[in-house]
Amino acid sequence: MSRNDDISAKGDPEDRNRASPQGDSTDPLSLNRRATLGIGAAMASSALSVVPLRAQSPQVTALPEGTTAIRTLVNGRPVAVTIDVRTSLLDLLRETLALTGAKKGCDHGQCGACTVHLDGRRVASCLTLAAKADGREVLTIEGLSHGDALHPMQQAFIDHDALQCGYCTPGQIMAAVACVAEGNATSRERIREYMSGSICRCGAYVGIVAAIEDAASRMGRG
Amino acid sequence: MPAPPFADRPRIDALDKVRGAAAYAADMRFPGLLHAMTVPSPVARGRVAALETEAALRIPGVTRILTPADFAPTQRVADLPNSPRPGLVPEIAFRGEPLALIVAETLEAAIEGAEAVRVRIEGAPFSATVDSPGAAREPAPDVSTGDAARALAGASTIVEASYESPTQHHNPIELLSTTAVWADGRLLIHEGSQNAGAIKVAVARTLGIDPAIVDVKSATVGGAFGQKGWVQRQTALVARAAMLTGRPVKLVAPRGQIFHLATFRPLSRHRIRLGADATGRMVGVHYEVDQQNSRSGGFPANQYHDGAMRLYGIADYAGIAANIRTDTQAPGHMRAPYEHPACFAFESAVDELSYRLGRDPVALRMANDTRTDMHTGKPLSSRFLNECLQIGAERFGWSRRNPAPASMAAPDGTQIGWGVACGLYPTLIHPAVATLRIAADGSTRFAVAGHEFGQGIRTALAAVLTRELQIDERRLQILVGDTTAAPQHLTAGSWGSASALPLVVQAVARMRQAVAELLDGRRIAGTLHQQIATVRRPFLEVEVSQVGPGQDSAALQRMRAGGYAVTGPAYPDFTTMSYIAHFVEVRVEPRTRRVRVPRVVSIADCGRVVSPRTAASQVRGGVVWGISHALREATETDPRYGGFLNNDLAEYVVATNADVDEIDVGFVDEPDPLFNSIGLKSLGEVSMVGVSAAVANAVFHATGRRLRKLPIRVDDLL
Amino acid sequence: MQSFRLIRPRTAQEAVSAAAQGGAASRFIAGGTTLYDLMKLNIERPGQVIDITGIGELHRIETAGEELRFGALAPMSAVATDAVVSRDHPVLAEALAKAASQQLRNMASVGGNLLQRTRCPYFRNGAGGVYPCNKREPGSGCAAIGGLDRSQAVLGTSEACTAVSPGDWPVALVAVDAGIELLGPNGPRSMPVDALYRLPGETPQHEFTLAPGEMITAITVPRRNAGRLSTYHKIRDRESYAFALASAAVVLELEGDRIAQARVALGGVATRPWRAPAAEQMLAGQRLTPELALAAGHAAFRDARAGHHNAFKLELGARTVADALIIAAERRP
Repeated sequence: MSRNDDISAKGDPEDRNRASPQGDSTDPLSLNRRATLGIGAAMASSALSVVPLRAQSPQVTALPEGTTAIRTLVNGRPVAVTIDVRTSLLDLLRETLALTGAKKGCDHGQCGACTVHLDGRRVASCLTLAAKADGREVLTIEGLSHGDALHPMQQAFIDHDALQCGYCTPGQIMAAVACVAEGNATSRERIREYMSGSICRCGAYVGIVAAIEDAASRMGRG
Repeated sequence: MPAPPFADRPRIDALDKVRGAAAYAADMRFPGLLHAMTVPSPVARGRVAALETEAALRIPGVTRILTPADFAPTQRVADLPNSPRPGLVPEIAFRGEPLALIVAETLEAAIEGAEAVRVRIEGAPFSATVDSPGAAREPAPDVSTGDAARALAGASTIVEASYESPTQHHNPIELLSTTAVWADGRLLIHEGSQNAGAIKVAVARTLGIDPAIVDVKSATVGGAFGQKGWVQRQTALVARAAMLTGRPVKLVAPRGQIFHLATFRPLSRHRIRLGADATGRMVGVHYEVDQQNSRSGGFPANQYHDGAMRLYGIADYAGIAANIRTDTQAPGHMRAPYEHPACFAFESAVDELSYRLGRDPVALRMANDTRTDMHTGKPLSSRFLNECLQIGAERFGWSRRNPAPASMAAPDGTQIGWGVACGLYPTLIHPAVATLRIAADGSTRFAVAGHEFGQGIRTALAAVLTRELQIDERRLQILVGDTTAAPQHLTAGSWGSASALPLVVQAVARMRQAVAELLDGRRIAGTLHQQIATVRRPFLEVEVSQVGPGQDSAALQRMRAGGYAVTGPAYPDFTTMSYIAHFVEVRVEPRTRRVRVPRVVSIADCGRVVSPRTAASQVRGGVVWGISHALREATETDPRYGGFLNNDLAEYVVATNADVDEIDVGFVDEPDPLFNSIGLKSLGEVSMVGVSAAVANAVFHATGRRLRKLPIRVDDLL
Repeated sequence: MQSFRLIRPRTAQEAVSAAAQGGAASRFIAGGTTLYDLMKLNIERPGQVIDITGIGELHRIETAGEELRFGALAPMSAVATDAVVSRDHPVLAEALAKAASQQLRNMASVGGNLLQRTRCPYFRNGAGGVYPCNKREPGSGCAAIGGLDRSQAVLGTSEACTAVSPGDWPVALVAVDAGIELLGPNGPRSMPVDALYRLPGETPQHEFTLAPGEMITAITVPRRNAGRLSTYHKIRDRESYAFALASAAVVLELEGDRIAQARVALGGVATRPWRAPAAEQMLAGQRLTPELALAAGHAAFRDARAGHHNAFKLELGARTVADALIIAAERRP
């Protein structure tokens, strides 16, 4: 909540499949109905656009069939959006919020490339219904560093060349940060076990383990 | 004059990658984007009698369904990396063949639409595996040298055995993703690919449009391993959808479908007779290999011999090969496609020979060294395999090994085994064109054929650029995988660096000459950028090109036209190969028989190492691949249904973090004196070649059990 | 995936009422690691999904009394790392920690995990009409029988189905005689975890004994049944993040140097979490030796039936039991 930079700055201004931030609210989870509906209208190009949401009165509670309205904090920024109930948290982040750091590698919780933090715990965003993010906080790789200052884990991944193609890397780093925070970075063996939910097909595991050991000491944990 | 050793430097694109800012194909955003999903064939062979799309079209958000009627009839051609793929066709040649493409406003609607399409199929008989009735054995041309029969007749010791390498799938973590934009009379395609130049031409041919209006961008690829070297079936489908709808269309193929759409490493069976004389000199080899292929697959069967016959100084070698034709999608190149299975088989046989001869397996290999390509009779431009063995043995502590099988154990009964094996890989090259632009604003731009999929080609290019030229790295742009920046060629076969890096040296020399001409005798201090600024030019750009040894301008033209223009490893005056030696320790549990690999030492001869950090990562990754292939990976086909049963990352088991322990990597780092101006050879693939044999040899040493079929699992050791 | 109605009740009673209204097409969702996964595969097709994760009362972990009590919605990772569980009840902590990955353990609930569905590839790959499966489409046949059956069960199979029950946690709970508390349209009830599971028989589509609209609200474990001399041992095709080829949950109670009581349950080898009374009887009153441990392991598989490619599971399973017994016994202070 400390930052109020506009999420839309990351996306294309022409993009209609995008949510807007609620920059005028100090508590994203107490957004009023009107603001929430406004986001629904922003999804104009989708199948949902057949319902003119903005024209409805604030008292109308019915959303289009198959949709649900959620309010969530993403990387400290409030987001209110009406979504297809089927949408995964990963697809919400990537396709609607333009946060493409989290990657789709399997869509079934089998690779870890989509790992983000939900209320501070690492989860597979591909197997998380986006609706479950309602009222909760999401942290993605985009929210890990502040400006040019990298998180110690990011710097350690560079220093130990803990990546090759880089596709699994955002998920690895989010998993690694959580691994340290959980207290599971106390030995190489434990790091390996607790990082096994993130597949690196390039085979950068040696570097990943070294990076986590290094970052854990800098993070004052482990 | 070969370059002196290069210094350590960070991966140039690591900063973007750790911030989630590196943009892969599926990350590209376009206004009005539509999402696509394919309908895969549930049967292995047949014909679509009817596609019932009404229910799917009623789903809110579904905007269009592409069927064979949306494509001009196309002929299936022999499947090779650059081959154009058909559009949608009613004939089904393999399970998973796309039958329709749903286009919708949202991903959720596209998926639901694909599920709602009802397909009526007239099935036809099929042969799913190499052992299925109807699988047709088709001999390939022999690859032989000398007289193996005579040599084997005179051998005092002969090892004869059969080995099997299973079907495997690449499974880069990036899914096959295509985004197509049709605007202003041009088609723009974003796709994670190793072959942007071929996509440009092949998609144009499938769609009947001029390749000149097609632009393909594959700037950052999320792993490839050969899978993305072939033009994908989906690319033209998505492009067609964009042209028909007038809106950008994106398809991210589900992993289960990719198992059936992309190529795969085919199952191969290897029968080897290896003979040695009384002194331990290997004198003759008779090597027969069968591999699975599709009905129209062009992936040649006899290339398994290209490496095996050059591993040692064996003058008499009979290489026999055959395809077993089955009803699948085409198999293709997967990291070290031939050398990995061949060296598993051959280096296992050499290990068996060492026990038969009572010779140390390292000493036996070193005694069979060669300076000559026994196939062509030409000299090898460089070969430091014995140095790899020597350095590796020292680092590993090989001298402490008790040679007797099942002789080393931990106090808890865990059996310990130490194994060694070698690998090699050709050093190949393709023609390339590069442009170097130096601008008055301090920026530098280098564009060349090549694709970055994690091997570190950008970092290697930067290493040479920064050594040759004083530049501001923050203002350095390296353009690869972009047909709008430079003609693109397939990046594979570990030929990327050799094909691109020497052009940097050439381009910088040309640039210095151009600046000198521009200055026309004036002496201006500072960098080239400052000199150009001083004479008030916005920038200066030079173009250079290169062909491989023995190639002429025809090869350059073939490359410019999006064709395949690789040459090597047998060049007119020499042959160039890279080499590696792997030393592996395994530990086998006393009762439940799990195999662990606590440490590996791998020493590579890849010529001059240009980017030490990314090169070491490449080798470690190759070792992980080798471990994974030796102990984990196999794709299974139920012959009654065809297709691949374990088509996800839960059931297709690849190595994860807990499977990998210490991997110690070293390089001989001796520049090759003949191949190019920098002295570099190939690395990406050789790094995994031989690992699986070293693991199997270590398992034999630990347990006394010789396992000749991969993967090795607890089932085999109980 | 077809669309569905999403309901987010605040109390267990609201959830059960919603389920009663929704009828057969209604599903509860907690972590979603099974249900949402199978919806993406078009195998589960609920018309109504009831997200129960907002029900605060079902998240509690209580370890103070003679009975450990885990609210059904407690995440697997939270129970695994609970100070009391991880210190005093290794069989429970290890069964949880060796399941899936930390990402999934943070999502999955200890109640939902009891209802995890099989990983049989013929079951999971079937949508779209490729493979017949009696579990997915009753009466269509079983492609695994006579097919690629390396991962299939060797215990509790039928002519209709050989699909493995994939869980680790349920195996541990069955070993310690845990119970579950349920809430349904007719009010609350409780039963042993063991009674939750059916054998496939001729109706493999019916895996659980839950009544329509019934939800698990808590898991209870008698503290003394899950002592420190216990372990969950799991053998997989890789070191981590994989389903069991064979696993064993073992709890020993010793009197002097003899086994007073052994509790043994098997995973990865049976169509449901599998208690092994023959092994337990063989161990009772005996001093544990490696030979006895292996004999008990073999006893556990006396009634096993192998297919074409899974006969190794009989020997692997027996040895897994043996190793588990030895590991548990070595935890003697």
